[in-house]
Amino acid sequence: MSGGIARGRLAEERKSWRKNHPHGFVAKPETLPDGSVNLMVWHCTIPGKAGTDWEGGFFPLTLHFSEDYPSKPPKCKFPQGFFHPNVYPSGTVCLSILNEDNGWRPAITVKQILVGIQDLLDQPNPADPAQTEGYHLFIQDAAEYKRRVRQQAKQYPALL
Amino acid sequence: MQADLTEVDDLEPLFDYRRVQPHNLVFFDDDDTPPIPCPKRTKVLNPAVGKKVGVDVKELEVVNCEEEDEEEEEEEDWLPPPPKVLVQKQLVEDSAIRELRLKKQELVSFAKSADDVIRAVEESVKRKLDSPMPAALEAESEKVSMPAIERAKIVVSIQDKGGLKQFRVYADDKFERLFKMYADKVKLDQQNLVFCFDGDKIGPEATPASLEMEDNDIIEVHTKKT
Repeated sequence: MSGGIARGRLAEERKSWRKNHPHGFVAKPETLPDGSVNLMVWHCTIPGKAGTDWEGGFFPLTLHFSEDYPSKPPKCKFPQGFFHPNVYPSGTVCLSILNEDNGWRPAITVKQILVGIQDLLDQPNPADPAQTEGYHLFIQDAAEYKRRVRQQAKQYPALL
Repeated sequence: MQADLTEVDDLEPLFDYRRVQPHNLVFFDDDDTPPIPCPKRTKVLNPAVGKKVGVDVKELEVVNCEEEDEEEEEEEDWLPPPPKVLVQKQLVEDSAIRELRLKKQELVSFAKSADDVIRAVEESVKRKLDSPMPAALEAESEKVSMPAIERAKIVVSIQDKGGLKQFRVYADDKFERLFKMYADKVKLDQQNLVFCFDGDKIGPEATPASLEMEDNDIIEVHTKKT
């Protein structure tokens, strides 16, 4: 029913992204083996912010859009086991603007989502933990937390 | 009325309602008092049309009837046809012929004037063709030759951490040329620069067309850390 709306919006998002996006970010709909483009799933890259422990990492993120987009937000997933207090063990990002019942608005763009997640990397929200390991280290062992973040950044170097 | 006037002001550029409005107003008046305007219209119409066609037809019809009557009278009443009727008939025919002559003359004059107009147009066209012919031909030849030379161009944005720079390149031109141009412009060694489109490294042999790039698409530059 609303699939046309979702696809139309995503086509516009893609069009505007090609002309203007922040440096180091990648966001493109997945290409299926037969060469066709699936607008409902986007493969993205979020660069770690310069001057933070996340710098140098290019973190892969997948956006899964539903037929109800943009009424409902996309599900944003890092790889399974991604180290961050606000990322579930499944890799799903927990962020207020990505919560349908909280901060999501249909006007939020793909660019705003990706920049929002980049901000979240270095500014975790301890009030809303999603994994035990990342949360506990962030609260209890700042040095170890820092080491783990830097280690993870090296795990995701630029794919060049 | 006030509402109408404001609407007219609003729509003036599209359609001039001022020309239409007075007629409408007259018609509304007519509807209220039909006896007054109706006779006026018939009076105006009859003399204009009737003079040329209506009266003639009526006269001819009358004559025909009289002829039939005459024949009947000849047979049944064995009386010679009244000369008055013949005179009338001739007179009627004469007036009809006169009108036909006048019409013929009119048509001939129309034809002549039409011929004159056509000749004048032909002459003016000939004059026009004689003078601007060479210029027109040159313009046409330019139009024909231009597309053959022209190659599709595309505007490509190259983005580094500092911002965007736009380059206009041929869509079928290899990127190595653009990369060299860019490296020269930013005064960096091309060996330390990596160019990406949609997260994929761009090979020097690729072209904007081969990557299906559109105008203003962004190429990202990353500096290698060695």
